[in-house]
Amino acid sequence: MSDLERELESELRRVLDPLAALPIPDRRQASRRTAARALVGGAGAALTVKVLTGVAVAAAAVTITGAATTGSLNPADWGQQVKQQVDTCKAELASGQHGIGDCVSSFASQHGSAVASSARQHAHGNDGAPGAGNGNGNGNSNGNANGHSKDKAKDHPATPKSASAAAPTLEPEPIDPAGTHQPVSISPQP
Amino acid sequence: MESIEAPVERERYEPGSEADFERLYRNTYHRILGTLIALLRDRATAEDCAQETFERAYRNWHTWRPDAPVEAWLHRIAINVAISDRRHQRLRQAGEMIRRLGRPAAGPDPSTLAERSDLIRAIKKLPTKQAAALVLRHYHGYSNREIASALGVPEQTVASRLAAARKQLQAVLGR
Repeated sequence: MSDLERELESELRRVLDPLAALPIPDRRQASRRTAARALVGGAGAALTVKVLTGVAVAAAAVTITGAATTGSLNPADWGQQVKQQVDTCKAELASGQHGIGDCVSSFASQHGSAVASSARQHAHGNDGAPGAGNGNGNGNSNGNANGHSKDKAKDHPATPKSASAAAPTLEPEPIDPAGTHQPVSISPQP
Repeated sequence: MESIEAPVERERYEPGSEADFERLYRNTYHRILGTLIALLRDRATAEDCAQETFERAYRNWHTWRPDAPVEAWLHRIAINVAISDRRHQRLRQAGEMIRRLGRPAAGPDPSTLAERSDLIRAIKKLPTKQAAALVLRHYHGYSNREIASALGVPEQTVASRLAAARKQLQAVLGR
């Protein structure tokens, strides 16, 4: 054993041996991680924030998309308007004419633009731009889909979807059986 | 030299037993603290790291296998705690230096004998793994094989660390 090793041993003993006379402190108890602590601390906190953020974003997206599509939070509103417009367009058809696509499409485009604009304002009022894109896209696409686009009309020219959609007739039909709206007056077309 | 493990290894412990862990704590606390004092900058830090060591050991007490030397297992945990503390110490030193600017330096704690020893101060400046090998070899009396088992490294690595540590100590102490 070298001098250095002997010195090492003696010095370590001189310094560390007195430790044995010290009292032994109580053992520190291991902290237990409860479910609540796991949620609010460490990696759990990051995950919780992400989940809550995702839920909030999804809820906002559903609200904005709904408003942009229908103009209100009630999806029945837009469908009712389109249904009325389809009936109106049918009624406006002159004898021998077929297809109401142009008529319904023009209504859908106007409605889509108007609703998108209001949705954009709604989105800016809440938290920013995301509502703008949804408003434009949903307004136009819903208009085409619900209003029976040209292609669809060509594919199914005379297929009644229900008993109320009976064979075309030249006689004006009341568009509102309940009588809540005035019947549409038809002027003969050249 | 008497092997430091001998009195402890005569005791039998049951993994996962609360009472046995408390007994292990009482039997090994001073030895673990001694190792940490030799590795870390002051006694308060060493005491804190000793408690951290036993906390970690307690969390894994059910995984300890009775065929493994229990004090070697504890030392392995303690040295890992010391390595972590030394890493954090470097970060803390910058903050402490800023706080102390313009104030007189605090005097040495009279209770920390280790801080007054040139040799111990030199050991503290060694890389933690080298210092740990020195303390386990020359204070606790482990053989190189036992140190290798405790640290989870090949025996040759322990010999290399000891040689490097001695060489550096000689250079620092001018011998």
